[in-house]
Amino acid sequence: MAESKKKIAITVQDLHITYRGLKKTSIRASWKKLGSKVELFHALKGVSFEVEEGKILGIIGKNGSGKSTMLRAIAGIFSPDKGKIDLHGNTISLLSIGVGFNKKLTGKENIYLSGMLLGFSEEEVAKKEKEIIKFADIGDFIYKPVKTYSSGMYSKLAFAITAILETDIILIDEVLSVGDAKFKEKSYNKMKELISDEHRTVIIVSHSLDTIKELCDEVLWLNDGEVIEMGSPDEVLPKYEEFMK
Amino acid sequence: MRKFFHNIRKYYKYAIYSAKAELKSEVADSYLNWLWWVIEPVCFMLIYTFIFGTVFPNNEKYFASFVFIGLAAWEFFNRMITGSVKLIITNRDLVTKVYIPKYILLLSKSFTYLFKLFISLAIALGLMIFQGVPLTWHLIFAIPILIILYIFSFGMGLLLMHFGVTLNDLANLTNIGLRMVFYLSGIFYNITGRLKGKKLGPLRLSTLLLKVNPVAFCMNELRQVSIYASLPNFKWLGIWLVIALILCVLGIHVINKNENSYAKVI
Repeated sequence: MAESKKKIAITVQDLHITYRGLKKTSIRASWKKLGSKVELFHALKGVSFEVEEGKILGIIGKNGSGKSTMLRAIAGIFSPDKGKIDLHGNTISLLSIGVGFNKKLTGKENIYLSGMLLGFSEEEVAKKEKEIIKFADIGDFIYKPVKTYSSGMYSKLAFAITAILETDIILIDEVLSVGDAKFKEKSYNKMKELISDEHRTVIIVSHSLDTIKELCDEVLWLNDGEVIEMGSPDEVLPKYEEFMK
Repeated sequence: MRKFFHNIRKYYKYAIYSAKAELKSEVADSYLNWLWWVIEPVCFMLIYTFIFGTVFPNNEKYFASFVFIGLAAWEFFNRMITGSVKLIITNRDLVTKVYIPKYILLLSKSFTYLFKLFISLAIALGLMIFQGVPLTWHLIFAIPILIILYIFSFGMGLLLMHFGVTLNDLANLTNIGLRMVFYLSGIFYNITGRLKGKKLGPLRLSTLLLKVNPVAFCMNELRQVSIYASLPNFKWLGIWLVIALILCVLGIHVINKNENSYAKVI
């Protein structure tokens, strides 16, 4: 591999995330709490790693080990309490289903709504609109209000939007199975196509080790907010399986 | 502040689109559709004019127009404040799944309210013509007055939006506050006329109510320029503009600092 290809796309340095501070409270309760210590929950305790451009990183770990928290921090939804996340100027999106949908509007209008929310301009969305509609494959329902959709159609449209409006970095949080068997295969293939683009960096959180094994170049194993190991799937996965028994 | 303007440029199209979408969805299922935007304010005006024109007689000239202008300004302010307190929580899906500068949510919301305000004002204008209110060039001053009202509401909204995330009972508090402001703002009575001669310490009560309460002030100035064909009070307009801008800067600062933590709370 040439030297120039070793561009780093994501750098995470000593990432700490703590749930606290802005805790929900009532005015009465906040009087009482003055002076008393606030309960802290450390979701991530000093995680550092780097991902090269074009690589696919899988994150594994048991429930509550901080995987989703980390994804959201990288997507910019959380701010780190300590540490740094550097995306080196790449655009990023968290692949999540149906963000910002307005159920009373038609599918077509929701494509724009969701797309613009993800930071794309109206023209950019317009360019991709046909492709999205074609990929979602829900026929004339695209002109009907989203609330009339079956849950399968809903996820199909939502997936199509996020999959076709591409960003440099894609974060995927367990959404590889939507719709019926046929669409599932189609979306899985699309996902593979998306993430195998050599300029696109991907982070996948999944409990399905088969998925991770098939798709990822590298695996990061998190446990209770700390990195246990990072390495190739062949190295890490057997140890993880052993650990989970 | 640079970040704020950068974000506004980046997201204002989304704000407009989402405002349009919301307006559309509000009436999407109803039988009379967009007519509701007109019917609703007209009905409110009829109710208020009946109660405060007939039940409690009032010799204010052009009373219906008087009430309606006040009501239009009030409704806008009221919507901005109540809307902003729960804004982050009602947009939970958005806030926890994608990064968006949070004031864009308020901006988008404010566009829908502005749209309704303009409908109300258009109706008010129709009513004034119908009542034979002489229209003069003073009407153009309505524009700066409305801008100040908007900036003030936006600044207040930003701050309430921030505190509304963590303080559960802020909504109850603002409801009480708003009710008080509603009655104190002279929507259906003329503050200067009603409180003539009444004093609170060394100050005239009517001056106090009109100048210290920005809603009453804007409402009163709007009426001055539209019904009474007189100039607005430039000194106080200036003062409130400065206060409103300070509120906005404060609000933007607080939101910039905290917005990334909201997702952890809700």
